Amino acid sequence: MRKSKLFQVLLGLMVLLMLAGCGQSEPAKSEPARQESTAQSIKIGGSSTLAPVIAKCADDFTEEYKTWNKVDPKLPEEPIVIFVSTGGSGFGVKSAIDGTVDIGLVSREVKDTEKGKMPNGKIIKMGSDALTIAVNPKNPVIQVKPDLTNDEVKRIFAGEIKTWQELDAKLPARPVVLAIRDLGGGASQVFDELVMKKTPIAKEALQLPSMGALAGKVAENADAIGYVSFGLVKQNQGKISVLSVDGVTPTTESIASGQYKIARPLLLVTKEQPNERQQLFIDYLLSKKGLKVVEDMGFIPPAK
Amino acid sequence: MSDYAVLNKKSFHLSTGTFCLVIACCATLLLLSLLVYMTLVSWPVWFSPGPWGFLTGTDWNPLAAPPQLGIGTMILSTLWTALGAVILATPIGLCCAIFLAEYAPSWLAQLLRPVLNVLTGIPSVVYGFLGAAVLVKYFEITFNMASGESLFCASLVLTVMVLPYIVSASESALRAIPLKYRQTSLALGVSKPYFTLRVLIPLARNGLLGALILAFGRASGETMAVLMLAGNTMVLPSSWFSKGEPLSALIALELGTSEVGSLHYQSLFAAGLVLLLFVLSINLFFTWFRRDRRNEVGKP
Repeated sequence: MRKSKLFQVLLGLMVLLMLAGCGQSEPAKSEPARQESTAQSIKIGGSSTLAPVIAKCADDFTEEYKTWNKVDPKLPEEPIVIFVSTGGSGFGVKSAIDGTVDIGLVSREVKDTEKGKMPNGKIIKMGSDALTIAVNPKNPVIQVKPDLTNDEVKRIFAGEIKTWQELDAKLPARPVVLAIRDLGGGASQVFDELVMKKTPIAKEALQLPSMGALAGKVAENADAIGYVSFGLVKQNQGKISVLSVDGVTPTTESIASGQYKIARPLLLVTKEQPNERQQLFIDYLLSKKGLKVVEDMGFIPPAK
Repeated sequence: MSDYAVLNKKSFHLSTGTFCLVIACCATLLLLSLLVYMTLVSWPVWFSPGPWGFLTGTDWNPLAAPPQLGIGTMILSTLWTALGAVILATPIGLCCAIFLAEYAPSWLAQLLRPVLNVLTGIPSVVYGFLGAAVLVKYFEITFNMASGESLFCASLVLTVMVLPYIVSASESALRAIPLKYRQTSLALGVSKPYFTLRVLIPLARNGLLGALILAFGRASGETMAVLMLAGNTMVLPSSWFSKGEPLSALIALELGTSEVGSLHYQSLFAAGLVLLLFVLSINLFFTWFRRDRRNEVGKP
């Protein structure tokens, strides 16, 4: 008697464990409709600079068409679902390769090692951005020394110039507060390559987890200096001031013409050839409406 | 009939026991597999800089050539923030616990306990956000700091976060002291403050220390609030008021953007393993303290 009872319980347990083990695949089989709809949503993620642009476009796109059959009559009548997440350019490439997202957002050049991992992929340029040397509007450096040389910028970020006074005798003796992105941010890699040229950034620099947080820090702290994306400077007009580098002020024209040197591309990457729906959305992004959002958010649309 | 019932009951006990054993083993396995997985992923790191170099090195840049892997700075920052939080939370937490266990009328204690427990339920990102919006700004203005983020700032927010743990663990330690001590001291005419300070606290000493150790473990593993408040600089923290990047913040900041399988990724897993082992050993220490306390109270 006892044995059979024990046996029953153990059997029940095994069934339970088996069910638990099947947990992942089971619902997918029993609910094909649901699985299909998640497969047909578009997942996009990466660069914290580009993500807001894509999120705005995705909103507009969903709002305008609502269901796929209105975009293309050949497609079934299904609601358009587009997820946009942020996490940095490194995350964008990484999750495009992993397949976690369908389209990765990258705001730096894609490295050759990364390209090697997506041989069938596509790299589409959405526009350009520049890293501006941004300070707080309360900082007197704007009046005293509105133009820095590339070398001065390098020395500030390397920690050689520790107080504003060391930059110019007329400035107060307040410490320079450096605001940078963490290692995975596209901006930190672009800045390393174009300005620092392998000189390490000062250890005292505050690492911020996103471009938005970096801009926020500069807007809040009177002694801060950071490399803020050109688009974010435009979005925060009056809260962030920009210094020119080597006599070139970052403007739409100077960035587009390549005169302003600290510039970077804004890219969409996919691991495989995009499917029909992804392609439709990419087409929308590259259409007049999409590129207008790029422009409205302060970035420079690709030259036609 | 009765014989059957007894048998049935027995077998029920046995099978319930087996069931629980299997489930318990699963839980333990989960922890073990986590440890094994993290060790395996971070394996190469333990050879290239060596464990000692990894733990005590103060330069961190896994993307540089050659990569610099040293988490000494982060370990020190973790210790500063967690220790600071426990130091700040100890007097508040102990007084709270003594009040709840000894002084508060039961209706008040029943009202206060859930309120304290609500503090545990608040997501840490909310604490972090409040800290970033209020504390950081306050430090900048009041102390004329160049930037308000500091280990102290993170400690201050962690204090609020670990307080509920300290209070509830200390309260149960105080309540575990048998009634006979209270009766005896009451009969001898000992005043309540004297009894609390000279009898109750020494008797519950190990339990109270255990509570602080548990809080220390919690504080060192906390991520979001610390990430937002400690400043995340790579400088070796020299005081409570310098900035730093605790281990948890390092992992949260960089793991998302590191390339899978790269040395960067592996070294972040190694940092995670260090943090996990650290918190684990603190918890084991806590269990040991608790057992010790029980023995002591059990003595006449």
